[in-house]
Amino acid sequence: MMNTKAIGYITANYAGNEPSKLLENRPVAALPFLGRYRLIDFPLSNMTNAGIHTVGLAMPGNWRSIADHVGHGGDFQLDRKIGGLYTFPGNPYGTTKRGMRFLLRDIISNRELFERSDAPYVVVMGANIIFNMDLNEVIDAHERSGVGITMLYVKAERKHSDASRLIIGDAGRVQKVEPGCEYGDNKFIDCFIINRDLLLDIIKHYANADYLDFFEAIAGDMARVDVCSYEYKGLAIGIFGERSYYERSMELLAPTVYDQLFQKDRPIRTKAHDAAPAKYYAGSNVANSFVSAGSKIHGTVRNSILSRNVIVESGANVTNSIIMYGCVIKRGARVENAIIDKNNVVPENTEYRGTPDAIMVIGKGTRL
Amino acid sequence: MARKECIAMLLAGGQGSRLMDLTSKIAKPAVSFGGKYRIIDFTLSNCANSGIETVGILTQYRPYQLHEYVGSGRAWDLNITGSGVSILPPYATQEGGAWYEGTADAVTHNLDYIKSHHPEYVLILSGDALYRMDYREMLKTHKEHNADLTIGVMPVPWEDASRFGILTADENGQVTKFSEKPAHPDSNLASMGIYIFSYDFLVNALEEDAINQRSSHDFGNDIIPKALADGKRLFVHAHHGFWKDVGTIASYHETSMDLLGEDPLFDLFDEKTPIMSNDSSRPPHYIGPDGRVDDSLVANGCRIMGTVRHSIISTDACVGERAIVEDSVLLPGAIVKNGAHVSRAILGENAVVEEGVKLGSVDTTKDTAVVGNDVVIGKGE
Repeated sequence: MMNTKAIGYITANYAGNEPSKLLENRPVAALPFLGRYRLIDFPLSNMTNAGIHTVGLAMPGNWRSIADHVGHGGDFQLDRKIGGLYTFPGNPYGTTKRGMRFLLRDIISNRELFERSDAPYVVVMGANIIFNMDLNEVIDAHERSGVGITMLYVKAERKHSDASRLIIGDAGRVQKVEPGCEYGDNKFIDCFIINRDLLLDIIKHYANADYLDFFEAIAGDMARVDVCSYEYKGLAIGIFGERSYYERSMELLAPTVYDQLFQKDRPIRTKAHDAAPAKYYAGSNVANSFVSAGSKIHGTVRNSILSRNVIVESGANVTNSIIMYGCVIKRGARVENAIIDKNNVVPENTEYRGTPDAIMVIGKGTRL
Repeated sequence: MARKECIAMLLAGGQGSRLMDLTSKIAKPAVSFGGKYRIIDFTLSNCANSGIETVGILTQYRPYQLHEYVGSGRAWDLNITGSGVSILPPYATQEGGAWYEGTADAVTHNLDYIKSHHPEYVLILSGDALYRMDYREMLKTHKEHNADLTIGVMPVPWEDASRFGILTADENGQVTKFSEKPAHPDSNLASMGIYIFSYDFLVNALEEDAINQRSSHDFGNDIIPKALADGKRLFVHAHHGFWKDVGTIASYHETSMDLLGEDPLFDLFDEKTPIMSNDSSRPPHYIGPDGRVDDSLVANGCRIMGTVRHSIISTDACVGERAIVEDSVLLPGAIVKNGAHVSRAILGENAVVEEGVKLGSVDTTKDTAVVGNDVVIGKGE
């Protein structure tokens, strides 16, 4: 059913705070994930699955990969006459402040989206932390509570310097939002619900402080704004750099983890392609791995994630690795503990080998 | 509407009764094939890859999944304002309504649709075969001969010729004789059921046929023999490549197996003429720690915990631990539970083979086992 209560706003214009070859040419939101997805698919799918048909998308400076992937939003059911997907230029790199993904200037420059709507609420999301959630439950909880803002958090399972933590007081009220979080903290999952009228007030009120992050701007005003918290009990996967990207991806090889992210009644949508089903040749040997459509497997693959159109030739061995779109692992080559970005060729009888503590990362290749 | 050189009419209304349980609830063109495709994808992709941008799809038998699957035609780049795909089911008029009674009758009912596009040529297709063909080449043949009707033909082994509608042609390719399943064939050119008509001839032929009470209103039985008898210019266009009808359980199974192997008879991976489909956006498939996949196609969303050999595992199908699947086709959502053993079988969509059950036989003299959509096979069944 179409959601008449909420519209959406997603920031896709954030670079990682750690330098990485994977992020040289793309924002974090465009990072390929689990074979056929990009991180941006998750916030977009959460919106769509909640029936939200109007979504603003703050684009990064290097927007090519996002624009190519999302297009007019057709694959996300967002090519609509009423509402639809509104892409607009965000600040080229968002803000580089740790844990902050909602630059006020981007919200202000997208003001018309919020002014033209008559939905009472706006769901705001980043793209670094992905999950598959029934947003309507949260919207309903927000509505029942009567507060101005509801911020979603999980209990942090590990230290994250690039996430924010919520200091929560009585009645679940958020007193402070602070950069960085430790094990057990209330980790903000870069998702909040705000009353649309309140958002327009804040835009007006803080126009002179547009260089701040949204939560920096209202830091002294939390009580008046009335910011509440909502603990999300499901799986939220934070991707902040190569290490978290690799580790969180590998954890999905466990079906119990995977099943929390992929549920048939809430599909994760993505750009459709015409790749054939993956083909396994006689003598191939694949175990504990994800393999995407369009791939051709002759060799051995263990504990790995293969994107679309990957070729593993006979005698090649891929172990504990993430291989992105269009790579060819030639005869007799060996790839271990590595992330190989798109369109690379690993030549015959060569080894690309990292260690569990130092994953080898190969940037985008040039194979067409 | 702007005049179009060539439009296609795709006959997709047949029941496909020889596919038995696979078409009990779904039209043949909508039956899953090749892991992620549906049978109609191959014909629609041929249209798209041949630059044909107007396709009328004639539906009748259990059409709703087919309609839903075709949708706006976007998956084949056929969502084009003023042309693109149009779904053409039987309809009522002020004079009443009628079902489509034969292939020609179905097209006759939609002459107004054809006329609205003012085409010079009309391509008649059926959505039940697996092949790649550039219809522009056939149109070129048609134009070179200034033909009234050009028939797509496929040279078949002489010993098989008696199973087909056979066309005999002279050295210029002009048809001299048409014989349906001849006992003693004098040609091995089998009709593929693909026709290009010049517009005026088609309209005249259909209008005449419609008022002929002795006609069964079928292209093969009525229109072609009459055209030949009337001395019209009929030519053949030979297709040299893979072409197989997937209309029976045996041919469905055999054609599926043709997709496998080092150098398959039909290559799904050809990038120049991609097979397009209405993709379901499912995640990559997962092969478990003890999974083993050999000489097979595996689509998105599958979970393979057991062993798969020489098989096609379609979207979202699952193979449990210690289960074995060999020489088989699992349609979307089919589940083979732990310890089950499935050989030379076709499992319908969402069919289930319960734990430890043995189904089918590798003995090729026996019929392929078929489990209908949503059917559960338990022990002792």
